[in-house]
Amino acid sequence: MEKHISHKFDEDLEQIKNMVLKMGGVVEQQIADAVKAVETADSDLAEKVIRVEDEVDLKEVELDEACTSVLACRQPAASDLRMVLAITKMTRDLERMGDEAQKVAKMAIALQESGSKGYEEARHIGALVQKMVNTVLDAFARFDVEQALEVARTDKEVDREYKSAMREIVTYMMEDPRAITRSMNILWTLRAIERIGDHARNIAEHVIFLVKGLDVRHTSLQEIERRISNI
Amino acid sequence: MQVVNTPIQENEKLNAKSDKVAREKPKTDPINGSHANVGETVGKPFAKHPKMTMRNVDVFYGDKQAIYDVSLDIGKHEVVAMIGPSGCGKSTFLRCLNRMNDTIDICKVKGEIKLEELDVYHPKQDVVPLRARVGMVFQKPNPFPKSIYDNVAYGPRIHGLFERKTDLDEIVENSLRRASLWEEVKDRLHSPGTGLSGGQQQRLCIARTIAVSPEVILMDEPCSALDPIATAKIEELIAELSKKFTIAIVTHSMQQAARVSHRTAYFHMGKLVEVNDTKRVFTNPQHKLTEAYITGRFG
Amino acid sequence: MTNSNGTLSTAEKVNKSLQKRYRAEKRFRAYGISAIAFGLLCLVVLFTDIISKGHSAFFQTYVKLDITFDPTEMGVDDPTDANQLATADYDSLIRNALKEQFPEASGRRDRRALYAVVSNGAAFTLREQLKENPQLLNQTVPMWMLADDDIDTYVKHRDDAQGDTFAGRISEKQMGWVDTLIDNNQVESRFNTTFFTSGDSREPEQAGILGALVGSLLTLVVTILLSFPIGVAAAVYLEEYAPQNKFTDFIEVNINNLAAVPSIIFGLLGLAIFIGFFEMQRSLPLVGGLVLTLMTLPTIIISSRAAIKAVPPSVRDAALGLGASKMQMVLHHVLPLAMPGMLTGAIIGFAQALGETAPLLMIGMVAFVVDIPGAITDPATALPVQIFLWSDSPERAFVERTSAAIMVLLAFLISMNTLAIWLRRRLERRW
Repeated sequence: MEKHISHKFDEDLEQIKNMVLKMGGVVEQQIADAVKAVETADSDLAEKVIRVEDEVDLKEVELDEACTSVLACRQPAASDLRMVLAITKMTRDLERMGDEAQKVAKMAIALQESGSKGYEEARHIGALVQKMVNTVLDAFARFDVEQALEVARTDKEVDREYKSAMREIVTYMMEDPRAITRSMNILWTLRAIERIGDHARNIAEHVIFLVKGLDVRHTSLQEIERRISNI
Repeated sequence: MQVVNTPIQENEKLNAKSDKVAREKPKTDPINGSHANVGETVGKPFAKHPKMTMRNVDVFYGDKQAIYDVSLDIGKHEVVAMIGPSGCGKSTFLRCLNRMNDTIDICKVKGEIKLEELDVYHPKQDVVPLRARVGMVFQKPNPFPKSIYDNVAYGPRIHGLFERKTDLDEIVENSLRRASLWEEVKDRLHSPGTGLSGGQQQRLCIARTIAVSPEVILMDEPCSALDPIATAKIEELIAELSKKFTIAIVTHSMQQAARVSHRTAYFHMGKLVEVNDTKRVFTNPQHKLTEAYITGRFG
Repeated sequence: MTNSNGTLSTAEKVNKSLQKRYRAEKRFRAYGISAIAFGLLCLVVLFTDIISKGHSAFFQTYVKLDITFDPTEMGVDDPTDANQLATADYDSLIRNALKEQFPEASGRRDRRALYAVVSNGAAFTLREQLKENPQLLNQTVPMWMLADDDIDTYVKHRDDAQGDTFAGRISEKQMGWVDTLIDNNQVESRFNTTFFTSGDSREPEQAGILGALVGSLLTLVVTILLSFPIGVAAAVYLEEYAPQNKFTDFIEVNINNLAAVPSIIFGLLGLAIFIGFFEMQRSLPLVGGLVLTLMTLPTIIISSRAAIKAVPPSVRDAALGLGASKMQMVLHHVLPLAMPGMLTGAIIGFAQALGETAPLLMIGMVAFVVDIPGAITDPATALPVQIFLWSDSPERAFVERTSAAIMVLLAFLISMNTLAIWLRRRLERRW
């Protein structure tokens, strides 16, 4: 995208974008750590995830301030406006992702305290979601709609994974009532990870809005693809 | 036919075709976009119930072409804003609509401009009745150095729009009321119009224009000489006037275009690059040049 | 303070040059003041000279003599016959009165010198008196009569140190008689109404400015009536209607050139066209007005065009935008706004025309005209021409009259300029 007449404006927007990517990086690491912690029942790693949460919250506040200031002082229009709007929404999603990661981390601490082993079951879905988060941040950094669509597709996969995992766990619970507590915890963990995937999909939608000007929320994947190809 | 739809909705269908044109986006460098790169107008240049229709309008100043093949409709009771960088031809185009360009000897207009069924540039068309139907408000508030009353009464007087003095009084009062100036000046109708503040002067000029009861009002950067509060009052007035009149407004302030207009037309180097619903233009313009201008990316 | 390189900082350089600038500034102002002072000095010298020379022309010496209206002396046998009274010999009455007063003047030469004390116009005064009061016949009454111009000059300058330098024109004897008259309180200095109420004359004491003043006025009226409408119409056409092309450029250049053409050329033109071709009479205010019209037109056109150009285009746009026709725009808006400027320019042109001599000489307005013109087709002369004529006359008394006439002309011009300023103030509107 060409430069603005105002360098300061360019710098402001660039700074916001970098802040988002940085926050995204932090959240990405948080998720990776949380998933790993819950896999291996590593409470130290989980503690780290919870500590980092404050940093993420602070970043969210800073980003909100920066966006407000650009809106007030620059009155952005068109792509600039969409960028600022998308970013405000993305930060919210990123912050929620951090919250979910925190939940997973708490679960890991609980695991460690109860002395049981980690949840191997979270590995696959966790890897998928990590890939989503990574891809969606990439998509945002490059304004790449294709990658954003990829994230939306992966989200479907995650949903499927989650559903089959749920069925499996329910079967366990029915087979062995003693495993119900553990199963419920696994269920909550998986649920949190799945939520992270949903947020990643939201971010992907914001990226599509930012790049194409299309509002694709609450729209099926096919419909999104059709509308994008129509532009 | 009684359609109560907003102009925007009415225009939707008509412009479906031109939307397709838009899909073939010209691959241009927006910073150095020369005429050749602008390509065809994208968006929705046509209206369902046009008040004024312009087709393939070219304007020349001597050998220099100022407007290239512009086609545009202005719908009934619609506010169309024309934006674009300096020298893009938006004012020139606006002045074609009531033939104010006639005063410039070397200015030649080709193509078709119609006010409903009236051919604006027909050789036998007199400008006097045309300008009575298409009024104009200028960049600088330009009241006559006469009293407020005489300013507003001037149009009705030269066109003979009244029979008795009381009729004229009524016209003056109504016009001032509609220009939301009446309350401020009713006690000093016979003091000079030039003694008012800038914003009041501009509203006086609007009152003077609507005193003739035109169908279309052309506004050439009406707020560029005014402070924000006066500007806000004029913008409020434009919204009010659009209920009764069709308005075409040229403005340098994109925010103003965004605030007052139904559709926005973006001109670039004499070409009409994009016409779209204002909401669309300011959130998601179709043409790269529009985007570059709207977001302040012209170097 | 110097910086590390040893060079002066900007502030120091500026301070250094500041003194120089102040001096230059002062010098520059001094040039302006001295220019104005020089102008004022010239003006003061001019006015002092004119007023000191001319003020005495506003007073005229009168001599009181006891006149006996003796019908036999006058050659009147029927006092009721108006014709006889009109053609009667009043000169002899004056002669008798003088002879009675100064019986010692006996020789022919002395007698003539004695009679020359009183103006030869005095007889007309007596006739007018008798016409108004017929009962004066056969009575002896003291009457005030115009003194001759030489006597007038002598009386005015008698007390001056160089009074005797002017005595050459009058003889020792005449001086003696005048002194006697003065001693007898028979000489009086009165306001010179003749100067303002009569036309030109060979005799300075009877010469007046009114003829020239009326001639100038008539000429000016013709000029104003012709040149203002024509000039304004031309200016309006050129500014508002004429297309921009080679032809209008040509006209514009020519108008500008005409403004710089020497006025005598216009005189020649008038002589050739109005008198040569149209065979009008010479010396007519009509012809003078026509010639001055030709001369003033370029000035008026140029100043009117400038005034019309100065009307803001936004006012034109406003009128046209409302659907006014071009004529309505011009009549309702452009002309009223341009009027003060046009008037100023025009009145400057008229003032110039009023002071113009050369073209009037060419068309014969230099003629000696005694009668006060009543119409533009009566022969007349004009103020500046009158000044020129009098300055050329040998009589000593015409010197002061020349200066007085200049004063009248200046007063005329000043009042015209005042009118111009007043009109401009009156019509000026801000926009």
